[in-house]
Amino acid sequence: MTTSSLPESLIATLPGDHYTSQELFRLEQEHIFESMWFCVARSADLDRPGRYRTFQVGRESVLVTRSRDRTVRAFFNVCRHRGAQLCTQPSGEVKRAFQCPYHAWTYDLEGKLVAAPNLTKMPDIGRTEFGLVPVQVREWLGYVWVCLADDPPSFEEQVVGDVVARLGDAEVIERYSIEELDVGRRIVYDVAANWKLIVENFMECYHCATIHPELTEVLPEFADGYAAQYFVGHGAEFGADVKGFTVDGSEGLDRIPTVTPAQDRRYYAITIRPQVFVNLVPDHVILHRMYPVAADRTIVECDWLYLKDVVARDEDISRSVELFHRVNTQDFAACERCQPAMGSRLYAGGGVLVPSEHHIAAFHEWVLDRLGPPSGRAGVSRGSRGDG
Amino acid sequence: MLIPVCPLADLPRGEAFRLELDPPVAVFHTEDGDILAIDDTCTHQDASLADGWLEGCQVECPLHSSAFDLRTGAPSAPPARLPVRTHRVVVKDGTVHVMLCDAPPNLPPCPAARLAGDPT
Repeated sequence: MTTSSLPESLIATLPGDHYTSQELFRLEQEHIFESMWFCVARSADLDRPGRYRTFQVGRESVLVTRSRDRTVRAFFNVCRHRGAQLCTQPSGEVKRAFQCPYHAWTYDLEGKLVAAPNLTKMPDIGRTEFGLVPVQVREWLGYVWVCLADDPPSFEEQVVGDVVARLGDAEVIERYSIEELDVGRRIVYDVAANWKLIVENFMECYHCATIHPELTEVLPEFADGYAAQYFVGHGAEFGADVKGFTVDGSEGLDRIPTVTPAQDRRYYAITIRPQVFVNLVPDHVILHRMYPVAADRTIVECDWLYLKDVVARDEDISRSVELFHRVNTQDFAACERCQPAMGSRLYAGGGVLVPSEHHIAAFHEWVLDRLGPPSGRAGVSRGSRGDG
Repeated sequence: MLIPVCPLADLPRGEAFRLELDPPVAVFHTEDGDILAIDDTCTHQDASLADGWLEGCQVECPLHSSAFDLRTGAPSAPPARLPVRTHRVVVKDGTVHVMLCDAPPNLPPCPAARLAGDPT
């Protein structure tokens, strides 16, 4: 199927191989995940010096920790000596230093090489020069972003820019005081689907009335198929008889006091490319981070954030969490249903986007732009796009 | 013989100074204000204790976590089994000095040095 043969209502998706090809995934790792700001951890996951987490960012393993001066630092998780992976656990805590389990090269929390067998007999080894190689770090909204690029893009343009593009200005998100909230619940999903299927799913709501009965009860306008993300600055309004953003529409938790009356009883959704989704509702914030690990596998870590008091008092957040946990489960099942068919010969030329999904074409175009010249990716529509 | 180490002002509490003798000596200024000297080299494997972690009157080897008591030189736990020597410290006219112990040091096994000239 070629673009020119499509009726006006439809726009072509990416071809099927863009969701299965190892080679294209490798290009995405290099030109997207290793080149852009990539959200890894909640700052509070690293609440004291020596606490660490490790993450796969593109093809690299990255070690993120808090050092003695209380700043968050990130390093390539690779010993400078013979290349052993320094930390093999996904998270943990060291007392004072990271030590390679192979030859005991030992690095302090600032990455400096502090000890190694016979090191004093090799005074020409620079302790910083042969220290852990740092990765750029930024903190925003209480989250740690890293960038593996030698020359990182502007954080304000890439990350804050995506929020502004969706909400109209950055103030809207700042009113949720996200850095002041606490994680009430975290659920990690291991999804057997390409990361782009998950992004596309999050961006549209054509599927909402079919697979998200509970969400559509709370946000009746979703039955129309137009996601909040189709618009700029639009928050989907709660149904008239809905008390809160909960699985049964019952009362939610304490409202974030800085949320304005205009934002009250509304749901906002933002995609921060390449791998963060944010949902804003009056009493909590849901923040997803995707960690693409293979062309057909993505780990998704999802945090439900509430006012500190709500978490400290151990209030019952179960109905609140259950709503979006159910949405996630429904969405990821749909993505996993698509993934096997991406390799079908029927889908070689891709599928189609209906008008309420046309804004996804801009995402496809963005991905292709990141990957560079389109040679070898024939049949992909680069000219037609939706109205965003 | 008193060997000058460094001005006292250059050795704040919590810090260590490595004196390049053969074998090297490590001088520590503890958080409690004591100044104590031991052999710098861990008796288990060649590592500088001056690069280790000072806690109270103990220094933990940065490589394999044996801690040595700065007053007795005794190791707290394996893998180090033998004590390091302790040396007398004298502060005179604002300068830290050490008076070396004349017992033989317990240095880690070093076949390369024993087979002098053989780099393996």
